[in-house]
Amino acid sequence: MEILKVTDLTKDFGGLRAVDKLSLSIEKGQILGLIGPNGAGKSTAFNCIAGVYPPTAGTITFGGQKINGKKPWDLCKSGLARTFQIVKPFASKSVLYNVTVGSFATTNRRDAAEAKALEIIEELNFADKKEVLAGNLTIADRKRLEIARALATQPRLLLLDEVMAGLRPSEVDEMVQIIKHLRDNGVTIFVIEHIMRAIMALSDRIVVIQFGKKIAEGTPSQIASDENVIKAYLGEDYAVA
Amino acid sequence: MRQNQIHTAVTIGLLLVAFGLPLIVRSATYLHILVLLYLYAYLTTSWNLVGGFAGVLPLGHAAFVGIGAYTSTVLSLQYGISPWLGMIVGGILATIVGVLIGLPTLKMRGAYFALATIAFAEGLRVMVENIDYLGPLKLNGPRGLQIPPMNTGFTHFMFASKQPYYYIILILLIGVLVLTYLISRSKLGYYLNAGGEEPEAAMALGVNVARAKLAAMAMSSFLTALAGTFYAQFTLYIHPKSIISLDLSFEIAFIALIGGRGSIAGPVLGALLLRPVSDFSRIYFGDTLPGMHLIIFGTVLILVMLYQPRGLQEPLTRAYAKLLARWAKNP
Repeated sequence: MEILKVTDLTKDFGGLRAVDKLSLSIEKGQILGLIGPNGAGKSTAFNCIAGVYPPTAGTITFGGQKINGKKPWDLCKSGLARTFQIVKPFASKSVLYNVTVGSFATTNRRDAAEAKALEIIEELNFADKKEVLAGNLTIADRKRLEIARALATQPRLLLLDEVMAGLRPSEVDEMVQIIKHLRDNGVTIFVIEHIMRAIMALSDRIVVIQFGKKIAEGTPSQIASDENVIKAYLGEDYAVA
Repeated sequence: MRQNQIHTAVTIGLLLVAFGLPLIVRSATYLHILVLLYLYAYLTTSWNLVGGFAGVLPLGHAAFVGIGAYTSTVLSLQYGISPWLGMIVGGILATIVGVLIGLPTLKMRGAYFALATIAFAEGLRVMVENIDYLGPLKLNGPRGLQIPPMNTGFTHFMFASKQPYYYIILILLIGVLVLTYLISRSKLGYYLNAGGEEPEAAMALGVNVARAKLAAMAMSSFLTALAGTFYAQFTLYIHPKSIISLDLSFEIAFIALIGGRGSIAGPVLGALLLRPVSDFSRIYFGDTLPGMHLIIFGTVLILVMLYQPRGLQEPLTRAYAKLLARWAKNP
């Protein structure tokens, strides 16, 4: 069953067409990767799906319902959560506080929200830092906090925008494990990433865009051997793989 | 556990001191200063719901003080309605006005919101200064309204001595502090903090930031207006320059910024520190250097912003926590 379906999504900023008739869909329980050169329109596509920008044209359906022009907070409550490429922690508050803000999406009670938040913090191997102020976290932990907060809203679909950028190789491996673990627990995942090793290991399917247009779609191995993709993005090194 | 017990003991001790103070302080002048201190702590705590938790900087809260004061005073002078009832009517009126101001302005960021609130409050002051009669209601323009001290007693919200006023404002202050505490631990409190700090992230986490801010604005305007009625009944004389003035709006913001916005103790600490400065500078420099207190406030504000940008509450709460830990260890 398709949980997200994007048809001919277009977004213009003044004279600039950031996303150009992009169509894609995600099956429930899948991990879909979105890759492309810098400025290809990946984050803009995410922002349209998450309700930050209203699309110029095209339709977005989530769980069978058209969600064009819905507000981010309403989308979040209907089960669509996202993280930000540039992390936005509530810096003056503790990790637990940050995550609790997310878990208030499904309850009005503070004790219930805090219990849920603690559960997620444990799940992400984060318990030792729950009282640390978010502003004092390392970049790896801030990325982890982004995921924890989004997860606390109990999403059916999670949009991850470059959660591995800036991490050390060992931290990337841990993040890959975390994302797989989330998928195994029933969360569908749509991920933007530049670290090829990670995206190849994670994705069931990958969509490649350039100048806002889709130039390829397929399994990781199909993408790695696609000539257009190699020329536009991956570079000759990947041709062998 | 021991720390919690000591903290409870300290809180009870402070409450006892606050309630017992009028037994020791007999001088009407000092009681007057204390009442104003609590009044400003109350005003700043109410302001803090928007200015602290919601992360915007309203600089026109005097408008709500004015609405509260004028509503209850006009109702009691012209229609004989008890100021207690007028207090509630004023609060509701201020809530409506607060929501109407908030709807377009709360979306503005930083200085624009501050400027918009200043503009509104100043607009209201100029209007009241130029209106003698609003329909059947006598506002008396720039001359203001005097409340004749004829019927003293609880139902008339008028007393011959300062003590009753002291207890009324003390109870109001404790009430608003408890309310703030409860809000800060509720969903609304979390949403306000999140929306104030990182609105985009908050929205993505299911927070309707605009609605949360509007709710805070509504509560803040209601509570602020109650203080307006209190002020009117305490001084028995209101006029636009004293009660809808920028001075008042700014002093509230000064107290909050110096004490610590967004914290519960901040407004009270700020008032404890700044109100005496304000009163004594008026007593000693009132003739020669009027406005001296604002210069002192400005200097203190610059120093605090440079060295303790979260306000004085931060180092003080840290020191208090340390003390608690030490007492808990060596009784």
